[in-house]
Amino acid sequence: MKLIIGGAYQGKREFAKKKYGFDDADVFDCAEHDGNIDFDAPCVYALEEYVRRAVKNGVDATEHLKSHRGEWENIVFICNDISSGVVPMGAENRLWREETGMLCSYLASEADEVYRVFCGIGMRIK
Amino acid sequence: MTALICGGSKSGKSDAAQRMATKMARDLDAPLYYVATMEPSDDEDRERISKHIENRAGLGFETIERCRDIDGVLDIGGVGGVYLIDSVTALLSGEMFPPPDYAEDADAPSRCAADLCRIANEAAGAVFVADYIFSDAETYDAGTERYRRGLAFICRALADVCDVVAEASAGILTYYKGGAV
Repeated sequence: MKLIIGGAYQGKREFAKKKYGFDDADVFDCAEHDGNIDFDAPCVYALEEYVRRAVKNGVDATEHLKSHRGEWENIVFICNDISSGVVPMGAENRLWREETGMLCSYLASEADEVYRVFCGIGMRIK
Repeated sequence: MTALICGGSKSGKSDAAQRMATKMARDLDAPLYYVATMEPSDDEDRERISKHIENRAGLGFETIERCRDIDGVLDIGGVGGVYLIDSVTALLSGEMFPPPDYAEDADAPSRCAADLCRIANEAAGAVFVADYIFSDAETYDAGTERYRRGLAFICRALADVCDVVAEASAGILTYYKGGAV
């Protein structure tokens, strides 16, 4: 499994497509699906949007991923880094931010490779 | 030689950019221009500007005030000059939400990207400074979100053409492309 993180609009998805040869059909966009993550997809994008829904539905995102540990061995996960602003005013956004950070930390600990994308350039940080 | 430096507020990006531009101009024996892009709208802005001018005193910069059609600086200083553009953030604000009515100009990001890339491609040296405003969990209004997207678009375009891309934090540069100038 590989994890790609980075701020908004930094070119994370383009980096993944170029690096791993994905086309649009390979990318499962969590913002465009209401349900769970499709672990058959080679690339799972906007993981933070899955977390946002999980928080809304009272689901622990990290526990959900852990319970499917055997199914995402070959996936490239892409997640927006939302960690560095002022603490959000709304309780749900606060939880969203924390849960996203914890999920990224868990995935990074399990990943073979972790990249941070900055201005379109990916730097391997693990 | 061209460089893009991004970083948070007070991350030391302007100081690093000034050092870089000064070194480029010395190495090339080229004139050095500081391109001020912020359009002052009140006394606080004017005070900030005079502080910046003080900070640059003695570094050998000639200041060009230019908050629109940024590549026009090449007509002023010529392609042989070294330009420090500080900042891309302020430039896009002025171009995207211009006074007096601040109505949004949706073409501003692509226009600024093209103008700035022209400077990068044609000038003897250039250093671009931009604010990194892309890693928070805030929900912004649609116009602000388009502004963030536009600024990131410009930064990615500049990162593509610049020799050096670095992130400033606490005054320290991390290089994503190229190395120390």
